[in-house]
Amino acid sequence: MSGDLAFLADTTLAIARAVPVTVGLFAASAVGATLLGGLLVMAQTRRGTRECARLWIFVFRGTPLLLQIFMVYYGLAALGPIRHGPLWAAFREPLFCAFVAMTCCCSAYIAEVCRAALAAIPAGQIEAALASGMGRWTRLRLIVLPQLVRLALPAYGNELVMMIKSTALASTITVMDVTGVAGQVIAHSYRTLDVFCLAAAVYLGLTGALTAALRYVERRLNPVEGTR
Amino acid sequence: MRAAGLLPALILAACHAAPAGRAAGPDAQAELVIGTEGLYPPWNITRPDGSLAGFEPDYLRVLCARLHRRCRMVAMDWDGMIGALHTGKIDLIADAVQITPERAGVLAFSRPYALTSGVIATLRGGPLAGLADRDVTMDFDRPGPALDAMTDHLRRDLTGKVIGVELSGAFDTFLNQAFGSAVTLRYYRTMGERDLDLLNGRIDATLEDESYLHPLLATRDGAGLVLAGPRMIGGSMGRGEALAFRPGDTALRAQFDQAIGATLADGTVRRLGLQWFRMDASPHAAAPASAGSGAAR
Amino acid sequence: MITDDPAPMLLLGFGPDGWGPALLRGAGLTMALALTAMAIGMVLGAGLAAAGASRVRWLRAAAAVYGLVFRGVPELLVVLLLYFGTPGLLAAGAALLGLADPGSPPAFLTGSIAIGLVSAAYQAEVFRGGMLAVPRGQIEAAIAAGMSPATRFRRVIAPQVLHRVLPPLGNIWQFTLKDSALVAVTGLSELMRVSLVAAGSTRQPFAFFAAAMVLYLVLTSASSALFRLAEARGMRWAGGTGGV
Repeated sequence: MSGDLAFLADTTLAIARAVPVTVGLFAASAVGATLLGGLLVMAQTRRGTRECARLWIFVFRGTPLLLQIFMVYYGLAALGPIRHGPLWAAFREPLFCAFVAMTCCCSAYIAEVCRAALAAIPAGQIEAALASGMGRWTRLRLIVLPQLVRLALPAYGNELVMMIKSTALASTITVMDVTGVAGQVIAHSYRTLDVFCLAAAVYLGLTGALTAALRYVERRLNPVEGTR
Repeated sequence: MRAAGLLPALILAACHAAPAGRAAGPDAQAELVIGTEGLYPPWNITRPDGSLAGFEPDYLRVLCARLHRRCRMVAMDWDGMIGALHTGKIDLIADAVQITPERAGVLAFSRPYALTSGVIATLRGGPLAGLADRDVTMDFDRPGPALDAMTDHLRRDLTGKVIGVELSGAFDTFLNQAFGSAVTLRYYRTMGERDLDLLNGRIDATLEDESYLHPLLATRDGAGLVLAGPRMIGGSMGRGEALAFRPGDTALRAQFDQAIGATLADGTVRRLGLQWFRMDASPHAAAPASAGSGAAR
Repeated sequence: MITDDPAPMLLLGFGPDGWGPALLRGAGLTMALALTAMAIGMVLGAGLAAAGASRVRWLRAAAAVYGLVFRGVPELLVVLLLYFGTPGLLAAGAALLGLADPGSPPAFLTGSIAIGLVSAAYQAEVFRGGMLAVPRGQIEAAIAAGMSPATRFRRVIAPQVLHRVLPPLGNIWQFTLKDSALVAVTGLSELMRVSLVAAGSTRQPFAFFAAAMVLYLVLTSASSALFRLAEARGMRWAGGTGGV
């Protein structure tokens, strides 16, 4: 029994040490995907770039992230310009490849979330802003962005929760995140179930904390509904 | 309330119960399910049509016929295979499993049907391509000052290098024990993924069984690789490849032991070895441990 | 043994060394896996939605906890847990009931159940939304207007529920279809697994992952076209215009 406890303590410690990898990958890809998602939304308002943005969204939403991760990690490495070009220093690293795949994939979902939110802003408001002589940036800053943030936040928050869960896929390309370390512990202890349960608890904690934080932000942005 | 109490109890049982497997061993009539990777040529290979080929599918067909048992081979990743054995998904493993001390607690081994050694593979022209002692065999079952000196030398050469190994393979344990934090290990679920990264230069080297590397080096892609440094055997790499059973299945294991003995004696193992490995890998064919060929995963 | 390496086009093709048939079989298995998972998720999701709307407090709590767990744990872990956990779970359950150990279910079953369990958590949300789609007053008005239960369902309930439920269900179907790729880690030869095995053994990762991506795109866009068709047909069948 004490051996069991010692094993669980060791495993917990090993998994805890991998939490920064999981959280770091999540944070970096969340920032990257949000920026790229915004770019995709802007690209869709322009003829010419619109088709590119639509194709990007179609491909990344239509295929499994696991496959995209393998494509970025193993597939791109088979291409001469990547393998022998200046980008190889970055693409050599599994963590960077996981970041690229997650950023590309999640940007497509975030772009769709933003597009839906934009469509929900009443056209009359924009017309009114135009009529009152507001410039493009003032309009964006005072009318569009505040509403976009509020309207998109619930769905955007869902995407972020999905992203935390998706980081587990990085373990399939040798990244030692929470799932990767759990797999390594199992490889030597042959104790599949308790180790996976422990890892599941870590993810539950992370997604729970993020959900709570998002709810707090939502309440702050919607004071009227929040106090009701 | 009873129903509410039952579910957590079941989940708890699933999370905590040591893999129990089938209470009794497989009975004599039932089909035997054999786990293999299907991704470890030339031991076991998955053909495009999904069928399994290689040394072990051929050899197990011979063994099962000899035992008058119906057998079915299924492919699964190595990292799940021991769990699958213990939970009764499969009845035995035939996947070039190395007889290692670490696995003695969770697996019961048959007598070995092959004996091969490990060697380092690296990119031709890379920093590790010139490792010395290519014609020496390090036997980690025979400790002594000579072995220690060679290990120290090798550790110096490998320091700071990234070495790719299959997750939970015997080489993973060995490298950890012999070189510790001097080398960085990177873990792969399948051999194919590790080979791609080795060819891409994402890892500096791999430690792998000679029987696997020789055919790889003969392919067009593999021509970019060279074997380097001494051959290695023994210690946590073990000595010889065997079938693996649940520790409780002693009767089944005894039957296979007998069949393996017979196929070693009648030359079947030698014939299949020449066919698939282009060498006789049977245990008695190997020279004495200090000079012979050696270990694997 | 592959001793000489044919060109990628040959490897992707239907010849003796070609992986074309294997990829197509994999795509078929992916489809079967996703359909089974979706069906499991639908039954379980409907049950969860009903439990969530129940007046029994612990049923509501159980449904909430279920949603929390299966929306908070990575799908990959659920697949791995189910794959390695079901034999122990079945053994424990059988022991409780005094039955013999049933052994272990095949990878297809554990895989589809794992993906189905996750799918159910999301489908329950959709069904809950669907239950709220028809305001009580409308049903009362329909009764007052003398509509038979069948007419009531056809003209009042179905159009509004379908309109509310079909688009998000289509979304969940897409997720379920893509999540089925995770079952590859259990060794089941669905599309993802076949492309990985082929990429590793032919050392042509780009060609095979690109081929798999195209096949997944065919599956996802064909099924989303079907869903759009179903939405349009569903509205027409229900006699509504779809506008609510």
